[in-house]
Amino acid sequence: MKKEQTSFVLLLTILALLLASCMGGAASTTTSWPGLSVHDDTAYLAYNQFVYAIDTKSGTELWRFPDENDRNVTFYAAPTMTADGQLIVGGYNKVLYSLNPENGSENWTFDQATDRYVGSALATGEGIFAPNADYSLYAIDTTGKLMWSFPAEEALWAKPTADPDCTCIYLPSMDHRIYAINAEDGNLIWKTDPLGGAIVGSPSLSPEEILYTGTFNNEVIALSAENGSNVWEHSAENWVWAGPILDEEQVYASDLNGNLYALEKITGKIIWQINLESAITEPALITPDALYVSTENGILYAVNPDSTIRWTREVSGKLNAAPVLAAEAILVAVTDGDDLIVAFDANGNQQWTFSPEE
Amino acid sequence: MDISSIWNTIIIEPMVNTLLGIYSVLTSIFGPENMFGLAIIIFTILIRLITYPLTYQQMKSGQAMQDLQKSKEWQTIQKKYKDNKEKLAQEQMKIYKEKGVSPFSSCLPTIIQFPIIIGLYQSIIRALAVTPTQLLGLSFNIYPFIPAAAIIPLNQHFLWMNLSEPERLNVMGVAIPVLTILVVITTFLQSKLMAPATAQPGDQGASMSKAMNLYMPLLMGWLAYSFSAGLALYFITSNLIGILQYGAMGRLDWRNIIPSRKTDSKVK
Repeated sequence: MKKEQTSFVLLLTILALLLASCMGGAASTTTSWPGLSVHDDTAYLAYNQFVYAIDTKSGTELWRFPDENDRNVTFYAAPTMTADGQLIVGGYNKVLYSLNPENGSENWTFDQATDRYVGSALATGEGIFAPNADYSLYAIDTTGKLMWSFPAEEALWAKPTADPDCTCIYLPSMDHRIYAINAEDGNLIWKTDPLGGAIVGSPSLSPEEILYTGTFNNEVIALSAENGSNVWEHSAENWVWAGPILDEEQVYASDLNGNLYALEKITGKIIWQINLESAITEPALITPDALYVSTENGILYAVNPDSTIRWTREVSGKLNAAPVLAAEAILVAVTDGDDLIVAFDANGNQQWTFSPEE
Repeated sequence: MDISSIWNTIIIEPMVNTLLGIYSVLTSIFGPENMFGLAIIIFTILIRLITYPLTYQQMKSGQAMQDLQKSKEWQTIQKKYKDNKEKLAQEQMKIYKEKGVSPFSSCLPTIIQFPIIIGLYQSIIRALAVTPTQLLGLSFNIYPFIPAAAIIPLNQHFLWMNLSEPERLNVMGVAIPVLTILVVITTFLQSKLMAPATAQPGDQGASMSKAMNLYMPLLMGWLAYSFSAGLALYFITSNLIGILQYGAMGRLDWRNIIPSRKTDSKVK
């Protein structure tokens, strides 16, 4: 009977291992897409275990942080440069880092948050404002000391928007509201009524003091920056994940059905709408002669101001992160692809790619 | 369509949407606080009701096996072939075949639990969607009639625990895995209370039953300790309902856990 019992225990152990591997497979999806930003001639990429500094002219790696792979430390929020030259990046390990952009050495860390940093920090003259999934916005000075924190009612995944006119910041929250907060002391100036859905994209502020945002309630909403009241709403076909962006006349918004909308800034009236066939999760890049839009199925679109497609380029992997403009290139950060960054010129010619060495 | 898409369509999407649907109804009545935990409990009750025919089958198979092992024919071959294991096994299989009893049929409901456990774990993690990738994935899996915008993000707190993380209760600086302990206890109780008394303590059924009683609580406890608290909540609720179901059918055998009552009559 010993033999049967041993076989049975073996079977249970195999089932346990199978179970653990299946469930581990689910857990391993707890990630995000790369966060990319550019300052001068250097691109800063946060993805998985490292923050990379890359030369935007050649695509060569300048440094990476940390030096060694640490599975407990992962980065996905696009790094932010402060006016005094610190590179700020938050990790999924609940720590906010200040790095020296020259060599990636650590200046200081802030470890008072209790959850992960999903969204990028905002840096202004008043300080560094880091949204955290623990429902708090942390205001930190340039030495890493906490100035104040502001509690929302749900996780904060989006970079706040600065308003220099009032030394205030606008904080989008997954609790369906936007908060206007005094950047100096963290006091609430106003908050919107619930907007019908979570907000995970950064709002844009126009010179006319109108704040544009998108919600999971399939809406693009324009709000008065003075008091948070609604100016207009435009219905989309699916969740509006990416924050809207602006040029002089128009606001550009997108949804998870792959629709790109051009709306009148003042009235919200639709000017044109095109469908790019796959989810759009981050804002388009606006240049004087084209809009660059990345879609989840790995296609970068160059769209003319009249909504016609100028060119498309497909990369291996997904394009969830926003395209970023470098001096001589449009950079796209790739999720699950052969390369981490692909650089194109304005005509869609590939200039270089970046794949980190192991 | 690959296996992962089929798994997703048949198991994960219905589970996620059922959880979201229950959560949505609860939230509209009571507000979001603690409601995802309650949704998991209600969902578990639904699963146990749906799998009740299997539970009933398990009980019937266990009883049939017990009756078979008490039969004269069975006892005779045990004695006759006690020194010839191979022949004994052949004869046992013959009797199983004749009587239409499968020695493994009572294991089936337990085995069926494994895909449910995997599916539920993935569904909980997917529904809670604590990272952008998970939330984006969730957005593609929600059925149109679920009021997603109103309920997302789900409130992941239930009592003292965060349902997306392994549970620990901090008592004076010591992190105690309360749910893990409860999972081990309730799994052990369920196995013991539902195990039929075997006529031959040394036979294959008794041997497997003994191994099951020992290893299942440890396996479930390890899963509860390692994975999200939502899964542990499912285990505890499922075990308690299993005990209740067996109790309602009059099949609980208290003699298995109360040694002093070994000779008492079984609760019918």
